[in-house]
Amino acid sequence: MSKKTQKTPEKKPAPRPEPAPKKAVDPRMHPIPLKVEYDDKHTNDFRGDVKEVGFHFAGYEWSSKEQQLLIDLHYDQLYYWKLAELSKMGRGFLDGELWGTQCPRCGDKFFPPRVNCWRLDEELQRTDWVRLEPQGHVHTFTIAGWSGKSSLKRLPFVLAYVVVDGCKTAIANELRGVKPWDPEFKMPVKVVWAPKEERRGVITDFHFEPADGWKPGPMNPEKERIKELCAPVYEWVKTLK
Amino acid sequence: MHLEPESMIANCIVETQHDIPDFHLRNLQFMVYSHFSVHFGKQLAPEWIVHDHLGLVGVPHFRIENGGNTGGSALYAAFLAVKSGMFDVIGVAGWETMDNVSQSQGSEFIALASDTRYEALAGGIYPIYYAAMAHKFMKENGLTEEDFALAAVKNRNNAVDNEKSQWYRGEYQQYKRDLTIDDVMKSRLMSYPLKRYDCCLMSRGGAFCLITSEEWAKKHADGRYVVIDGAGLSSCTIRAGDRLNFPGWTEMYGEGYPDMTEFAACRKSGEDAYDMAGIEYDKALKSIDVAEIHDAFSSSEVQIYKALHWCNKDNIREFVREKRTFMGGDLPVNPGGGLMGYGHPVGATGIMSAVECYYQLTDLTPKKHRSSKTYVKNANTGLVNSHAGTGTSISNFIFRRP
Repeated sequence: MSKKTQKTPEKKPAPRPEPAPKKAVDPRMHPIPLKVEYDDKHTNDFRGDVKEVGFHFAGYEWSSKEQQLLIDLHYDQLYYWKLAELSKMGRGFLDGELWGTQCPRCGDKFFPPRVNCWRLDEELQRTDWVRLEPQGHVHTFTIAGWSGKSSLKRLPFVLAYVVVDGCKTAIANELRGVKPWDPEFKMPVKVVWAPKEERRGVITDFHFEPADGWKPGPMNPEKERIKELCAPVYEWVKTLK
Repeated sequence: MHLEPESMIANCIVETQHDIPDFHLRNLQFMVYSHFSVHFGKQLAPEWIVHDHLGLVGVPHFRIENGGNTGGSALYAAFLAVKSGMFDVIGVAGWETMDNVSQSQGSEFIALASDTRYEALAGGIYPIYYAAMAHKFMKENGLTEEDFALAAVKNRNNAVDNEKSQWYRGEYQQYKRDLTIDDVMKSRLMSYPLKRYDCCLMSRGGAFCLITSEEWAKKHADGRYVVIDGAGLSSCTIRAGDRLNFPGWTEMYGEGYPDMTEFAACRKSGEDAYDMAGIEYDKALKSIDVAEIHDAFSSSEVQIYKALHWCNKDNIREFVREKRTFMGGDLPVNPGGGLMGYGHPVGATGIMSAVECYYQLTDLTPKKHRSSKTYVKNANTGLVNSHAGTGTSISNFIFRRP
């Protein structure tokens, strides 16, 4: 007798499992897309098709007196920087719109965006996206005469911390359209976007400039001092290749 | 400096054995490694190399990374581990190899420890963030560039008495050895109001110290140990622009604090350390005899004076101008040279500060330094401060002579 035809003792069919109750999703949870396809690709727009080479030996140096060896090693890395739930902000940069977030309960508004409220008693209340007016005022600022490799050629520049559109936080970005010695605390500024084809979805897609109608005050000893400190920086930048 | 990390730490352990002859490698029950940036070393988990090459296989170990406060945090971890009763003898070893890359690349590496979605992309590096904070602090407290420069002059000139300091050694020997305010004012603009001499050095270096139970210390290091009487660790926002109205601070210290001018995590961790050590805040200045604090920038040293309750808005100008923190002042600060003098090899820094303070409280300074000029005689209480980010993580310790 084959197993197939073997009679099994009559048995009450097991009750069908109840459909799992639909779990209530805690509205504070950030949704996670199951799958993301990036169909609008601009991967070669800015530097061309970057080739990763990993470890690359560029040479070596030997000290015959001290018997010491130094090796020139280059190592590169292309990052896939997923903005995920912050994509609204990045898309806004590309489109020339400034998006921050706001807690629907306490009303605090943030730029750069915080995805959850910062008040402990709000227990990670998720914030809502809000479009911000592209204007604000300078909270503090500095005049940079030195920077990272990527920014040396644009020295000296002013980095200003700006409170945008009544946010509870300040964002740092370059303040242009003003001599480095002319900015003032609390001065009103506006957001100015890079040309559309130059935008990359990042914070440097915009910079600040003085609000229309703002005029710097007259030269004073502190401004003269800053001007004097900037002079050699201008000269040094000219020597960069 | 030309040493691989395992050799730096080996040298430091050998020197510790000179100071505490009863200390042997076999005593080590746990190792806490202190290292900030794997970028500089082109090496992930570099502590595995150091640990292995010290011969310590089998001994438990881990690494602490907490920005500029990596050293202080490693000390804190070792302190907790002894307090827990689990271990009696812990080695804390830290290093950094920042000269593996160019200065401007190094500046950008360190800026990767800011929120890279924002400031770092906009061209910000740490001296720029600190300058923006210092600029507002300077205005609101009636200070000048020259006031900040005093700290730079003091620490670099102290460092000339410390032959282990970077400012004393190698390529830096060609620089002027007795700096003046004028030298600082004339040095290159880094970011207003900070000039080159207002900023610490980028360094290769290592440090080691032992954290033990008091019983072990009494038995094996009599006359050569200090007691950690207070320890505090606190945190703040990564972006300075996020602390204008942060509820966690405003509910503790009031509206408008810390803004971008005060180091709230320094105040909080300092208060916690003072509480533990039984020091009243308004008597802190009188209660402490010597301090090694995190002068990554001359301005931050001055900001720290205020955060630690040594002065307030009303008297900070006089406090600085009367040179209260110089050798011979009522609270000498950074007699070892500070970060501007001995350098800032991040993972080693907080440990070096602790070791310098230990030298003062065990009277080893005249032996360790080139002379007694930077020795604070009869010091009984010391403060060690370690500081990260834009004030994002800060620890403070109170050391006492037993």
